[in-house]
Amino acid sequence: MAECTATPAPICKGDKFSEKDCPQNALEKKRMENIPHASVVRSLMYAQTCTRSDISFVVGMLGRYQSNPGMEHWKVAKKVLRYLKGRRHYMLTYRRIVLEMLEQLLIFTRGGLILWTCKELGNALKGSPIDTLIRSCLLEERSGAASFNYDAPGAAYTLKWTFHNDLGLIFVAVYQRILHLLYVDDLLSMVKHEFSQIYDPKRRAYNDFDDIFRQLQKEAEARAEEIKKSKQVMRPTNALGKKQGHAAIQKAGSEGGNTQKTSGSMKDGGDAKGRNLENGHSNGHRTGIKESFAGGVVTGKENEGSNGRAFDVNKLQKLRNKGAKKIDTVVSKAPKVEPKKKITKKNRVWDDSLPESKLDFTDPVDEKGDEYRPVVEADQGESMMDREEIISSESETDEDEEVGKDNKLNTKKHGWFSSMFQSFLQFPTFSIAGKANLEKSDLEPALKALKDRLMTKNVAEEIAEKLCESVAASLEGKKMASFTRISSTVQAAMEEALVRILTPKRSIDILRDVHAAKEQRKPYVVVFVGVNGVGKSTNLAKVKSTHFFYFNGFDLKGLPTDWMELCSNATLQVAYWLVQHEISVMMAACDTFRSGAVEQLRTHARRLQIPIFEKGYEKDPAIVAKEAIQEASRNGSDVVLVDTAGRMQDNEPLMRALSKLIYLNNPDLILFVGEALVGNDAVDQLSKFNQKLADLSTSPNTRLIDGILLTKFDTIDDKVGAALSMVYISGAPVMFVGCGQSYTDLKKLNVKSIVKTLLK
Amino acid sequence: MDGLEQWTNQLQQWVHEAETWVHQIPASQLYAALCALFLTTAFLLLIHLKRFYVYNILGNGICQKKNLFFLLIFLSCLIIAVRLFKRTQSNTIVLAGLSASGKTVLFYQLRDGSSHQGTVTSMDPNEGSFVLHSESTKKGKIKPVHVVDVPGHSRLRPKLDEYLPQAAGLVFVVDAVEFLSNCRAAAEYLYDILTKASVVKRKIPLLILCNKTDKVTAHTKEFIRKQLEKEIDKLRASRTTVSAADIANEFTLGVTGEAFVFSHCHNKVTVAEASGLTGEISQVEQFIREHVKP
Repeated sequence: MAECTATPAPICKGDKFSEKDCPQNALEKKRMENIPHASVVRSLMYAQTCTRSDISFVVGMLGRYQSNPGMEHWKVAKKVLRYLKGRRHYMLTYRRIVLEMLEQLLIFTRGGLILWTCKELGNALKGSPIDTLIRSCLLEERSGAASFNYDAPGAAYTLKWTFHNDLGLIFVAVYQRILHLLYVDDLLSMVKHEFSQIYDPKRRAYNDFDDIFRQLQKEAEARAEEIKKSKQVMRPTNALGKKQGHAAIQKAGSEGGNTQKTSGSMKDGGDAKGRNLENGHSNGHRTGIKESFAGGVVTGKENEGSNGRAFDVNKLQKLRNKGAKKIDTVVSKAPKVEPKKKITKKNRVWDDSLPESKLDFTDPVDEKGDEYRPVVEADQGESMMDREEIISSESETDEDEEVGKDNKLNTKKHGWFSSMFQSFLQFPTFSIAGKANLEKSDLEPALKALKDRLMTKNVAEEIAEKLCESVAASLEGKKMASFTRISSTVQAAMEEALVRILTPKRSIDILRDVHAAKEQRKPYVVVFVGVNGVGKSTNLAKVKSTHFFYFNGFDLKGLPTDWMELCSNATLQVAYWLVQHEISVMMAACDTFRSGAVEQLRTHARRLQIPIFEKGYEKDPAIVAKEAIQEASRNGSDVVLVDTAGRMQDNEPLMRALSKLIYLNNPDLILFVGEALVGNDAVDQLSKFNQKLADLSTSPNTRLIDGILLTKFDTIDDKVGAALSMVYISGAPVMFVGCGQSYTDLKKLNVKSIVKTLLK
Repeated sequence: MDGLEQWTNQLQQWVHEAETWVHQIPASQLYAALCALFLTTAFLLLIHLKRFYVYNILGNGICQKKNLFFLLIFLSCLIIAVRLFKRTQSNTIVLAGLSASGKTVLFYQLRDGSSHQGTVTSMDPNEGSFVLHSESTKKGKIKPVHVVDVPGHSRLRPKLDEYLPQAAGLVFVVDAVEFLSNCRAAAEYLYDILTKASVVKRKIPLLILCNKTDKVTAHTKEFIRKQLEKEIDKLRASRTTVSAADIANEFTLGVTGEAFVFSHCHNKVTVAEASGLTGEISQVEQFIREHVKP
């Protein structure tokens, strides 16, 4: 059959099969016995079901006579084979499904120029997911997140991204949300790796990357398949992570463990609030040298023992002697830390073989460890450093004690100098010309210190964490400038991020909006929402104190002893401010929940000579607000301030009522009144408020909180974290800051000073 | 002779590259490096002077040459430093405007004469010193322009302040198609720019560039100018009344009691049209060349 000529068709028109063609007698049957008809047909069937559906008819026909094939059938079968020969290259191809699942992959610069897109994938994306990603995720300091969901009419995408910070590149993959693509992370990191090698800032077109990408995609798919097969629950092992791990280890090995030493010592430094650094400094540079030297030796051993061993043994011997001496002092001087240190001392094995087997990470046997390797490595580094510390320096423990007392002060004093000195030691070639690319482990200690600092300023932990992640993502892989150190680089990046967050996205010029509404002859409606900070009348003591606190400024001695709510207070301040700017204001008392609220507001309104709209307590606040707005448009008021009852974010019925109020009246501005005192609770309050408003709204276009009014700003000193937490979680700007109890104490937030305070 | 010319060309290129490289390094680092250099040279010089005197006393004049050499090094260092820190006439043009108004495309049009494969929202400024693409065919020495494209996203606006002090001209890009929906935001941004101390004091000329005029639905530049003036007039009223504590704008605009027009500004404000996508940017180039002489 190999030399046969090809036929144009598998079967001729008019060819007919019938029982007649079957062997009728023994002779014919005998002849057919030698012919492999059955196996041919079976093979054809296989081809037909898989890749060649064009022969399905004829194969089906042939199959009917499988039990007793005749010569005619055999001829037809041969004809089919000849047909197939002529069209050997035609087939149904099955690209792996994954190929079609990726919608788009883009590579662009931070400046915004698209360098490369996958033309093969070429699907036009619906909406503008990339721009949305950048605006609402990457620029909002949420780049630490794993993925981003984008909804457009007719499409729901998930986007994943990775940065190459040194080159300023961003890689984004877009795929349909319903598909859970396992290999995207993997693919992105591979693309990043490959692309960074051919990237040239002067080049604008990368057509040759198409081939590389195809290759990479295949690889990634294959790997994803493997993972699926091996039923690993783990996410695909991050190839880059693996590579980095190896690279880091190799580098560490070749540099005599310098890199590791950094990670170790820096981490430790972060943990113990720069204990290490101080030691290095206060003991004079001699100890610093020794320490880093010893560290280098140890880590060197860790990684490629044989090389450094001959040289460490005697060094370590010396150190051990010193250490033995040291322990005594430890015991006597630092009884608190004693037990722990004893243990570490015991654990410390200075034999060459044991730690090696434990710490040799270059052997990639442990599959599971792959992903976590860098972390493990750092951990080991740390513990090594802990032990090292005890041994290496004489006055260490004295320091330790001192650190306990005033470590913060010390860090500030000595941090710069000693770390400069250390960096000189560690990177003798790079200290002036700029350090090599930053790695995550380098950043960690600085970030941790920064996170702690943010948290002492009352920033919610969750948010401090996210911010640090985002800053880490933006710095990782970047080259450090000369004459700088990591912590200052991190701080600068954080400062930039904070300014970016706190800079309002929308205009916070209410007056401008009011004028705009005035032109349209519509009242500008502001709804004040917020939690009730105190436990209402049940907690009388608290109520009294709050009452005292709030009424001082107002000087309302004649009023019934009821307290003013945050919300109402803020409403009054805003009302006063607006009146000052010659805008006619009307207030709507929609707090129909708390007894006395309406009367209170009325008293104040009278004092300020502001008209007030009230309907008692029985009415639904939504309807009261609606009537108030109608009334305002009748009598030509410019602004309607709707004062609502304070409510806890978990109170479903009240939240539903608020949602109804907002839906029914469609206000121009929804101001959230929050206390500047709250810490972690800020996140909960705002996110739940927003979520409830979104969930409970009956209209398709949900309204969320537009702005924030922070009260009691005068009482918090430098703990301004709530402002950051609230802005970050809601994306709404701080429009006003209330810094007192009197009508006039309304200010605007000064972003620069807030950022300065946060990082102080 | 040909070879020599080639060499000089090459040399000039290197010098140019070195200069741009130096300009990229933050100033503080430069100062530090130069300080170190000065100190060492001064130190060496001192040592040698000492030795020179000693030798002189001994009546030995051989060292004079060596001394001269060190003096030369010192002098050249000085010259380099002076050249670096001498404020040459600025050649920076800043592109500003709202997000999605077409600044990045314009930047690449000016630079490469093409918008490549499209752009997305910028997260970092684009910066580059180059001879405008349309002039790249011209002969003779042309002074390169330093163009900065500042991202339009409101969160990134503080970046603009970094570039304004050195700007020779400012191009405010406006989307002429989607103008009305963005009018207020654009006016606010423009107002902020026009009231910045760095702009007012140095009288940085500003060009309002109506981009995307290739589209049929684009508004005319006259319409856009009038709308912006109207909006700024309103803004002026509301901004001046905001309590003084938070005022970021250091200057008031225009003549009080009169409707605002751009001619009231301290700096020169002009309006032009362009289309970044199709590459019709001659009016921008003209503006740039007016303020950065070739």
